[in-house]
Amino acid sequence: MSSKPQALTSIGPMRAFAANSKKIAVELIEINENLLGFNQYITEYYKQLSETWGVAQKKVNQKAPKIPQDVEQIEAVKRIWIDIFDNDFTELFDSKKFGENYGNLVSKELELTKHWNNITNVILQSVNLPSKEEVDEVYKEIHSLKKRVSKVELELKKEKRKNAK
Amino acid sequence: MQNESTIDPKIIEEVLKFSRNVIEAPKFVSAPDEINLEVTPHKVVQQIDKTRLLHYKPISGTKHKTPLLISYALINRYHILDIHPEKSWVRNLLEQGFEVYMLDWGTPTSMDKYLDFDDYVNGYLESSVEYIKNQSSTEQISLQGYCTGATIATAYTALHPENVKNYIATAPVIDGWKDTTVISNLAKHMDADKMVETIGNMPPEFMYYCFSVLKPFEQGIEKYVKFFKNIDDKKYVDNFLRVEKWLGDTPPIPGELFKQWIKDIYQENLLIQNKMHVGDELIDLKKIDMPMFTQVAVGDHLVSPECSMPLHYAVGSEDKTLKIYPTGHVGMIASSLSQKKVLPEMGTWLSERS
Repeated sequence: MSSKPQALTSIGPMRAFAANSKKIAVELIEINENLLGFNQYITEYYKQLSETWGVAQKKVNQKAPKIPQDVEQIEAVKRIWIDIFDNDFTELFDSKKFGENYGNLVSKELELTKHWNNITNVILQSVNLPSKEEVDEVYKEIHSLKKRVSKVELELKKEKRKNAK
Repeated sequence: MQNESTIDPKIIEEVLKFSRNVIEAPKFVSAPDEINLEVTPHKVVQQIDKTRLLHYKPISGTKHKTPLLISYALINRYHILDIHPEKSWVRNLLEQGFEVYMLDWGTPTSMDKYLDFDDYVNGYLESSVEYIKNQSSTEQISLQGYCTGATIATAYTALHPENVKNYIATAPVIDGWKDTTVISNLAKHMDADKMVETIGNMPPEFMYYCFSVLKPFEQGIEKYVKFFKNIDDKKYVDNFLRVEKWLGDTPPIPGELFKQWIKDIYQENLLIQNKMHVGDELIDLKKIDMPMFTQVAVGDHLVSPECSMPLHYAVGSEDKTLKIYPTGHVGMIASSLSQKKVLPEMGTWLSERS
């Protein structure tokens, strides 16, 4: 009984609007929290790239200290530059520190995408459209049905071939 | 004191020539749509979902009884095996008298995110094998897998050895822990569950990122400098554009398949340990007991030889050959070396067993 007066004030489309706004606000707050982590990993990502660049450039300077004077020298310096840079960057991309940081960076990016998906879902449901989860459920069901049909069709073909012999 | 700068006039000449080439490039370069990557005539003989089974028109008559089915990789498209008449893997095999089929995996959409290894191995590949068996009235076919297509073909061969007369594994992705490439490092630190749950299929953009970290300066700078330097060379430009078009066209990878591939091959390394499941079935590499031919490239920076070679030692075959070539991942299948050495050696081996 006591909830009735409250319900009286909260029925109608505005109630859904208020609930949706709250959901979206929560997602936005979480996006901000995630952005902190994302920024940390992306800073580390560019730090690793720029440090590797610096070290590689020093190696190039040591190997080719003079300004090239002719076409052949330019070619030789370019070759040294490419070889050293490719080696150093491959070493970086192959390292555990890069792999871990890059994995975390992508993971944070995915979390941000997930929040964006959640916001979109709220909007989709507010206009009576299916959410991503509901669409996925349909895809899963279609996949399962197609799989069963394909297996039956394949077995039938095999059986037909066996009988034809 | 005189302070004169002495610049070699040849440098200025080179700079001017290079600038001219850059400006004139649009005259020599075809638009991507004008480049046809399907070189050798073929027919689409079977279509299931997005996949297509291609049958190539024989060139010099079929000399061998057993047809060959090629299971191409999941990354980029099958066109690299038929990229240019002079470098076509398919054409060379046809000229050697083989009957050639190719499985094109197509372009998965969001709807295909639940396709997994089982669909590819026991669905699409199995259906193609059955079709070929029916058409050629043979009980067995020869199967070739390339790169990740060889991972699928390996799983198929282990599960259906009775259908495969000869198995050729070209740069197969097998032992993820031994893979020394940058790709393997990224894969080992990837949260595949989160990726698939959030974005569904593995998007092409992510693959392009992975390509960009492979020899970034040679591939990202020097390659294009060479292109502009050779802009007058029609043959060079044609080859370059074909490969570029191929490189820039990779389909998404179905989410579930991608997840299993990353986790089972790169992170937990189940395939080589005979612990990987496809559907409900366990893959036992010892069940691969037919003649097997493994091809690896020492300079492969996508699938290192250490990742591919363990297959040679893990299978149950007694008649097995391992060939190592001084080239790279693409060089092994679409280069003058592949035409002069890789294909003739494979053709000789296969013809003796077909």
